[in-house]
Amino acid sequence: MELCDLTALELTKMLRKKEVSAVEILQSSLDRIAKVDGRPGSLDHTTELTEEDKQKVHAFITRTDEIALIQAQEVDRKISAGEDPGLLAGVPFSVKDIFCVKDTCSTAASKILANFKAPYTATPVERMLQAGAVMVGKVNLDEFTYGSSNESSAFQPSPRNPWKTDRVPGGSSGGSAASVGAGEVPLSLGTDTAGSIRQPAAFCGVVGVKPTYGRVSRYGLIAFASSLDCPGPVARTVSDAAAMLQVIGGADPHDATASPLDMPDYLSTIEDGVKGMRIGLSPDYFRITYPDPKTGDLLSQPLPAEIENAVRSAAEKLAAMGAEIIEDVPMPNTRFGIPAYFVISRVEAASNLHRYDGVKYGLRTQQSFNDLNKMYRFTRNEGFGLQPKLRILMGMYVSAAQYSEQYYRRALRVRTLIRRDFEAVYDPRGKYRLDALLTPTTPTTAFEMAAVYGNSVLMQYADQLTVPANHAGIPGISLPAGFDASGLPIGIQLLGADFTESTLFRIGRAFEKATETESWRQVKPQVLQDF
Amino acid sequence: MTDYEAIIGLETHIQLNTTTKVFCSCKADSWFAPPNTNICPVCCGLPGVLPVLNKAVVEKAVLLAHAMNAEIRPLSYFDRKNYFYPDLPKGYQISQFDQSLAKGGYLDLPVPASASPDKKAYTRRVSIWKLHIEEDAGKTKTAGNRRFIDFNRCGVPLVEMVTGPDLRTADEAAQYLIRLRQLLRWLGISEADMEKAHLRCDANVSIRVRGETKFNPKTEIKNVNSIDAVRDAIAKEIDRQIREVEAGNRIQAWTLEWDEDSGTLKKMRSKETEADYRYFREPDLLPIRMSEDWKNQILSDFPELPLARRARFIEQYNLPEYDADILTSERKLSDYFENTVRAYGGDPKKVSNWLMNDVLRMINDQGLNPEEMKLTSAALAEILKLVDKGTININTGKSLLQKVQDSGKSPDQIVADEGLGLVSDDGAIRAVCEEVLAESPNEVASYKAGKVTLIGWFVGSVMKKMRGKADASLARQILEELLK
Ligand SMILES: [Zn+2]
Repeated sequence: MELCDLTALELTKMLRKKEVSAVEILQSSLDRIAKVDGRPGSLDHTTELTEEDKQKVHAFITRTDEIALIQAQEVDRKISAGEDPGLLAGVPFSVKDIFCVKDTCSTAASKILANFKAPYTATPVERMLQAGAVMVGKVNLDEFTYGSSNESSAFQPSPRNPWKTDRVPGGSSGGSAASVGAGEVPLSLGTDTAGSIRQPAAFCGVVGVKPTYGRVSRYGLIAFASSLDCPGPVARTVSDAAAMLQVIGGADPHDATASPLDMPDYLSTIEDGVKGMRIGLSPDYFRITYPDPKTGDLLSQPLPAEIENAVRSAAEKLAAMGAEIIEDVPMPNTRFGIPAYFVISRVEAASNLHRYDGVKYGLRTQQSFNDLNKMYRFTRNEGFGLQPKLRILMGMYVSAAQYSEQYYRRALRVRTLIRRDFEAVYDPRGKYRLDALLTPTTPTTAFEMAAVYGNSVLMQYADQLTVPANHAGIPGISLPAGFDASGLPIGIQLLGADFTESTLFRIGRAFEKATETESWRQVKPQVLQDF
Repeated sequence: MTDYEAIIGLETHIQLNTTTKVFCSCKADSWFAPPNTNICPVCCGLPGVLPVLNKAVVEKAVLLAHAMNAEIRPLSYFDRKNYFYPDLPKGYQISQFDQSLAKGGYLDLPVPASASPDKKAYTRRVSIWKLHIEEDAGKTKTAGNRRFIDFNRCGVPLVEMVTGPDLRTADEAAQYLIRLRQLLRWLGISEADMEKAHLRCDANVSIRVRGETKFNPKTEIKNVNSIDAVRDAIAKEIDRQIREVEAGNRIQAWTLEWDEDSGTLKKMRSKETEADYRYFREPDLLPIRMSEDWKNQILSDFPELPLARRARFIEQYNLPEYDADILTSERKLSDYFENTVRAYGGDPKKVSNWLMNDVLRMINDQGLNPEEMKLTSAALAEILKLVDKGTININTGKSLLQKVQDSGKSPDQIVADEGLGLVSDDGAIRAVCEEVLAESPNEVASYKAGKVTLIGWFVGSVMKKMRGKADASLARQILEELLK
């Protein structure tokens, strides 16, 4: 056990007691990165992966060691001067490279922004820094967050799953989950558009929170699907995740969609337990429904038993702690989450990508061009990888005037139906009156590298159980809940009503306590087994 | 010859005179700023930044919508209008589409005899089809094969207002713009200066045989930056379309550009297909919720509008249309007039005469603001009363205007200080009259011989001796009595 394996809250506690310095904590984190991370992602795709590369995590694109050292020294100075160093003082964290941070490259894992340096820092990052946390670098993701495996990053090698390095870490916040899972940092800032925090958290055996839409400001987050994107914490414990949300959440004058509602004090209620809570299980979350690629008929497939069992076993433990488990909660529109998401997210993504045109910043083609349209075409063709191109094509198609009604507007109506499913079960005067739904986070555990890359539709079904929360805007949290037969982490998910993060944290913390002595809690990721 | 009528619709873009831009805190006005010096990450569309709505833009747009008799939606949305252009940094313009701030509306446009084909004044109701808020794009300059882009104008708040195809002559189009400009300034929501592009106008023009109801293909005239140019361009385009149709040709849906220097229209492009802007709701902004409270607050001191006031001036004060027009051309002048009338209590036409002949010249020559003049409406009323009472004569009264404006003293005070009051003491005037008659034996003789018109000369001489302060009618009376 090294410093970097401790939780964020343990570290700040030790720091305040002057048992350890921020510089020492940082050094521990940098040592871990040096041991397990391997070479950072780069635009050079010509170098073959070595055997050593295949054993490493490759979470980072950009390291900010020098800035981190200055930040850590400042925390130490504050502590010795008796000043308040902030809630997360001295805690190292990584930032998904989709957030702009002043004076660092903000690449979005795309060639088109490879050299882009923003003159501003994203609000959630700014708030972490204000709270004394120490940023050690920017971590990899799927290009522009478009994917569920991180393999679509323009910066290769892409991240690998610390539990088994021949597996993907999930995505798109794969670098975040891998860096936390491998003990490189206790906290990471990710984003969740369809499950992009929760799915990699599940794959990497860590805690991932998708807050209520509007709980955390999107200012400085390079947009994918603006109406779905949520910044959120990745951590190793529920309490750490709660502390981080406490820091990054709240109203922001730079984001009109950030909620003006007051932030509750999450840590003050997190140990209150689940007695009397009503927690639902839904059959619609124990199967995957997908259209037959030829006929379009909806096909249905049950989830692997190991995953369903993990959820049911968690439900039993919560019941034993005094929660009431409500079975057979209908969530009939869950199955439409993915198709509706395909349409809405691509319409917004295509529009959000318009600005990368080679005129103002980022890549401009080096080819000669004699007219403006050629410059646009060459630049965008060279700068965007396959995933952005697919999203632009589909987004342009489904928002065209003649198709908009059939696709985009219809998708918006589906979105409303999904929202109503949730409203009905959380309604305090309704039939179910749930405090939360308990579901699996993902239909599978982490898949092998290259297994589904290129088959974008199948990869997207990895999000079927997470995307409804994005449509509805509600909060969700993924918790580690054991391993499958091949030793890969299984994640379970809690979904709550708008702004009930504190409830989800309470349930999550209760589940942690109920399982803290179980043997799976002691298993270390593969990349850490040698030391 | 066939009788044609023109069908004209105007698309105007109105730059609102807010302090800051619509979605960021850059200054809205960049008129004197060098290129790309009034910009920020938000208006330049850098990755990750978000728009935040400037409420003052909504409030000014509500004032306009209300003035145009439009319905204000309690819930309206922003939408993205997607297209690529180098001076559009986000690749989309934030605008409003199907659920915009205002719905419907109209303007009852008075067309004066001078702008009427049969020289009879009439009113044309112009319907409003679209009234919404949007952000401006930047400016592109081409030099050879290079383009230079100035982003200063990005994010400047605009209202786009589109009329129905209700205008029938080039003169009506010009009248519409004159009235719109007047209204915008009256409401204090735009400088409405066409030369500075605060008010921009594109015109859609088609023709048809009078009596027909169908619409023929129209052309769109762009890049016209004065009201006269709009009138000229439309008139030329109507003539061209008539010539084409008479020659058996079809009118094609072209976009035409007005060339100010040569006074001609040039074809910019054919418009075979409508561009698809792939509108969808702007996810980065909340809908505008126009509560009754907010609306009432915005409209709480909504002014009487210029056309209504013009009508009232004619009705209430019995002013000629000409006077009413001038006295409602500008809100502050109009308020000044009415305040003077109230303080004076006498004949409003007299106030109008003084204002239009003398005060307005001072205002224009010296670039004064009626609201801030030292010659207040109360002071003007006082001068008029002094003249009415015979304390001073008209000439003295007129000379007081500038004196009050220069010194800020009250007219009473100046009259007292400078001894400008008329002498109406019979004895004092009689003494001067006798003096004049004694000094002018020849003229007295001529008068008595029958040349009675000399009375004016005698009065003038008395006035001269008394430095204009004599009550002229009293002097005349005394002179006539002495000359009997
Ligand atoms: Zn700006």
